[in-house]
Amino acid sequence: MKKFVLLLSLMLVFVLSAPAYAHFQTIYTPDSALSKTGWINFKLVFTHPWEAGHTMDIGKDEKGVNHPPVLFGEKFKEKTKNHLKALKPITFTSLSNKGKAYEAEIRVKGMGDHIFYFMPAPYYEGAEDMYIQQCVKTIINVAGAPTNWAEPVGNPLPVEIVPLVKPYSVWKGMTFRGVVTCGGKPVPNAEIEVSYINHNIKGNAFVVGENMKIVQPNLVPIGINANVNGEFSFTFPKAGWWGFCALGAGGNLKHNGKELSQDAVIWVQVTE
Amino acid sequence: MKKVLACSFVVLLVTFFLTTIASAHTPLCSCYDNGDGTITCEGGFSDGSSAAGVDMTVQDKSGKVLTKGKMNEDSEFNFKKPDGPYKVIFDAGPGHVVEVNGEDITE
Repeated sequence: MKKFVLLLSLMLVFVLSAPAYAHFQTIYTPDSALSKTGWINFKLVFTHPWEAGHTMDIGKDEKGVNHPPVLFGEKFKEKTKNHLKALKPITFTSLSNKGKAYEAEIRVKGMGDHIFYFMPAPYYEGAEDMYIQQCVKTIINVAGAPTNWAEPVGNPLPVEIVPLVKPYSVWKGMTFRGVVTCGGKPVPNAEIEVSYINHNIKGNAFVVGENMKIVQPNLVPIGINANVNGEFSFTFPKAGWWGFCALGAGGNLKHNGKELSQDAVIWVQVTE
Repeated sequence: MKKVLACSFVVLLVTFFLTTIASAHTPLCSCYDNGDGTITCEGGFSDGSSAAGVDMTVQDKSGKVLTKGKMNEDSEFNFKKPDGPYKVIFDAGPGHVVEVNGEDITE
């Protein structure tokens, strides 16, 4: 019995001391560099990727009502496609809970760079009594021909991170650079959190197994500040999917009378 | 003597850059099945340049030419899907040839 109480206390201490790793909206797909036109699957999950932890219900307000996503689109060369109708609700299982998320099957057609972006309805974070809305994007290339990866999505996406490095051919040890923008203008000194899909995604769940061992919990999340021109850089220590989130890139905003943090997120796949 | 060395250096440098430019762009060709009995091939180069005007050939298994043409101004080439096995050849000159097997061309 004593042992059980001790174990329970230890577990409680562990849970209480578990750091609040960053929230990240994913736009996950297994491969960012495709050899040819074809169908791909996206998982749009609002989660804590480092520890494959607590997964939030996308678009849930303070009353517990789920609101549908605002944008899900693709920019290819000069054209923009609306993919909102392709979104299907799923339940995503993290290592600690289940949350409401979406997936989509999309045919990525045409040689070149396809910028996919997603903007959910604001999510109410009770612990901070505020709303969070993460505008996320990733760039999928078909057949190696570079076209528009360096261009912003622009309107209607209010905030975004524009890459300064071809984002689908980055290798372990390479440095990524990007610019945080709001309404097309750089966000000076933007605060950026860096995340990593540390437990692989299989189906609609995280699979237990750290790709990178976190020897001390305070070592994550990684933080960067952009310079006065909104530019930042980061050198990848490991292959896999890395995410950058510029917190509050949208400036001082309100939603339902509460603070709204409108964040810009980009996901980049690193090869080894 | 110094002048000769300097000249040689410049020549080497120019040669180096010329070689780099020539090898920096890789020819690219990717095809997909439109699902209506036609195939679309797209071409380009890894530096983002257009493949407009590049020679395109469709051959059967024995090497017999089934269709011939050129990439259009959008770097695209459309043709009727052959009944049997085939391959597509994108020919932008020596060292810049890409072959795509028909069986790898899907929707």
